[in-house]
Amino acid sequence: MDNDQSVLLKVENLTKHFPVSGNRVVHAVDDVSFTIKKGKTLGLVGESGCGKSSCARTVIRIYEPTSGRIILDGTDITNLSQKELLPHRRKMQMIFQDPYASLNARMTVQDIIAEPLRAHHICKNKAEEREMVAEMLHQVGLNQEHASRYAHEFSGGQRQRVGIARALILHPQLVICDEPISALDVSIQAQVINMLRIFQEEQELTYLFIAHDLSMVRYVSDDVGVMYLGQLVEKCETDEIYAHPLHPYTQGLLSSVPIPDPVLARKKENAGIAGDIPSPIDPPAGCRFHTRCPYAEKRCETEVPALKEASPGHFVSCHKFG
Amino acid sequence: MQEVINKWERIELGGEAERLYSKPRSFAEDVWFRFSHKPTALLGLIIIALLLVFAIAGPYFTPYGYDDQNTKLANIPPVMQVYPAPDGNFLYITKALKIIEVDKDGHLLGQLKKGKDNSKEKITVFPYKDDMTVTLDYTVMPATIRDADGNRIEKGKSIWNHTYLLGTDHLGRDILSRLMYGTRISLLVAFIAAAVNMVIGIFYGGISGYLGGRTDAIMMRIVDIISTIPLTLYVILIKVCLDDGFLSIVIALSSVYWVDMARVVRGQVLSLKNQEFVMAARTIGSSTLSILTNHLIPNAMGPILVTVTMLIPSAIFMEAFMSFIGIGIAPPLASLGTMCNDATEALRTNPYQLFLPALVICLIMFAFNFVGDGLRDALDPKLKK
Ligand SMILES: Nc1ncnc2c1ncn2[C@@H]1O[C@H](COP(=O)(O)OP(=O)(O)O)[C@@H](O)[C@H]1O
Ligand SMILES: [Mg+2]
Repeated sequence: MDNDQSVLLKVENLTKHFPVSGNRVVHAVDDVSFTIKKGKTLGLVGESGCGKSSCARTVIRIYEPTSGRIILDGTDITNLSQKELLPHRRKMQMIFQDPYASLNARMTVQDIIAEPLRAHHICKNKAEEREMVAEMLHQVGLNQEHASRYAHEFSGGQRQRVGIARALILHPQLVICDEPISALDVSIQAQVINMLRIFQEEQELTYLFIAHDLSMVRYVSDDVGVMYLGQLVEKCETDEIYAHPLHPYTQGLLSSVPIPDPVLARKKENAGIAGDIPSPIDPPAGCRFHTRCPYAEKRCETEVPALKEASPGHFVSCHKFG
Repeated sequence: MQEVINKWERIELGGEAERLYSKPRSFAEDVWFRFSHKPTALLGLIIIALLLVFAIAGPYFTPYGYDDQNTKLANIPPVMQVYPAPDGNFLYITKALKIIEVDKDGHLLGQLKKGKDNSKEKITVFPYKDDMTVTLDYTVMPATIRDADGNRIEKGKSIWNHTYLLGTDHLGRDILSRLMYGTRISLLVAFIAAAVNMVIGIFYGGISGYLGGRTDAIMMRIVDIISTIPLTLYVILIKVCLDDGFLSIVIALSSVYWVDMARVVRGQVLSLKNQEFVMAARTIGSSTLSILTNHLIPNAMGPILVTVTMLIPSAIFMEAFMSFIGIGIAPPLASLGTMCNDATEALRTNPYQLFLPALVICLIMFAFNFVGDGLRDALDPKLKK
């Protein structure tokens, strides 16, 4: 499996702790493992604050991993210095959540999209650079006229497309999409999602797609991983998770997805998940979900459940299964 | 029937929907637009421009240098109360009981030579032209003058001094020329000090904020310590160690005010470096230098500029203050502070000598504060309610 040619990203026991004041640590990501095959999409889902962004940023090495391994396209990039990392950066790019904060207000669209080209010394001259940017703009549905504009003149959707253009101009293999649509108007979410899917088909992109609920992930992902308080609690194929959600947290997440069928909606019992997410500074002992779990037993408070294969290809960490 | 448009149809990307109708406007143009719609800011800018013209171009249009002195014409005010002389010219009695001859247009012709001085009766006789005399009687103040026949000459009109438009100081130097040179020196000192402080502050604060952690903590403690010492005391101590003169005051001012700048820059860098566009630059693989010059500094430039414009009036005031207490610019070089200092000797009798340089100091401070205020509002429209 380790030398599997079809695997693009392999994350093993990734942990990211942030030291905070008073010698305490935020357990943002704890022992997370997953693999993504080339051309596939892994959806990473979880409530806000459960460590999805931290996980993504550690994988892309903006945050230094506390422990664990990140293997990109057969190379272990966990301990590479920023300089050694530079050639590997071309292979992975990121699309950010906030289309306003992720574009520098003092730069024109031309400069924003050309920044990756300049950082990797790809173009020989300005003319070539302008041509590549124009081509990229065209692909995301903007045109040459937009290149000389500043980002603040655009709508959220247009800005997000500039962000996508910046991420894709280097033709990366892996693109991490950190909630790329959650800050956008509902009316343009589908537009951006469609664009991402078209790029995936055309360029065989691999996505790590992050979302805070399960509603959109269904349309983009091949596999889904569910995170809770820094840990991966369930992982399987997309259809399987909607058909047979096993972990009580996943069931809760699913029940908070609006259901268009009123009959089904009425049947839905425990709507949503009770209570608030506990602090990641002192995560609960045992199963981290036991404080909010409707099925919690005595041993959930003390024993940490392992991620086990409940049915073929369906992994879950819950004492109910296994 | 009109064609029915389906609102739910998908809009093709890249079509009419993507057009931008506004003119492209850069951030700087945006700031200028807001700035120029604020009257006080614009007024400040105009005053600064006029002061610059006054200080830079002015000296080329006056016949006097800052150190040309004529002690015979000392302490002449800009507007004189004159007495008509027998031949149609005018006479002006100085506070020191000298008589100055003034022509009809207000040009000073010179001091009358003293003739007989009778100190017992408190009268002095001055020969006037070849055949006339005037007598100055100072038994009661203010003094009066009489013509050759002993008739008292009544006070005439007020007349503008056309030789020295703003009068002369206690050494007979032209106040207008000295104001020009003084403003020039004061502004120069302030601009150099501001530029040096800006560079030091950007580097210090930028490094401190970008590196963060322990380095940041140590560097900021140093800043805290420096800022607990009153600036005035600090500048005076530095000045005492250095010689008098232009260079030493520049050094003293340059080494003090960067503390505020460093704080501002550090705060900006600290908040900017975790923004998503900086992270994006890092995932792209941009170098640290490129991140600093393309992302961090341009985005911090607004508050930096505001701090600099607010720093200039403080530097001007500090320079004036030090010159005033006598440890600033060395004479005969003029600065607004030394002019105020010179004026205090005869403050009662010649208040205009203090009023004029003080007025210029006020103008400069007002103007820069207005501009700073306007800049701050223009750079951050969210600050306005
Ligand atoms: N740079 C940081 N320093 C300290 N704590 C952080 C930092 N980034 C994130 N965290 C904490 O880590 C946890 C996970 O955050 P995040 O990864 O942003 O969650 P998500 O993206 O799922 O909403 C949160 O409790 C957050 O407060
Ligand atoms: Mg997030």
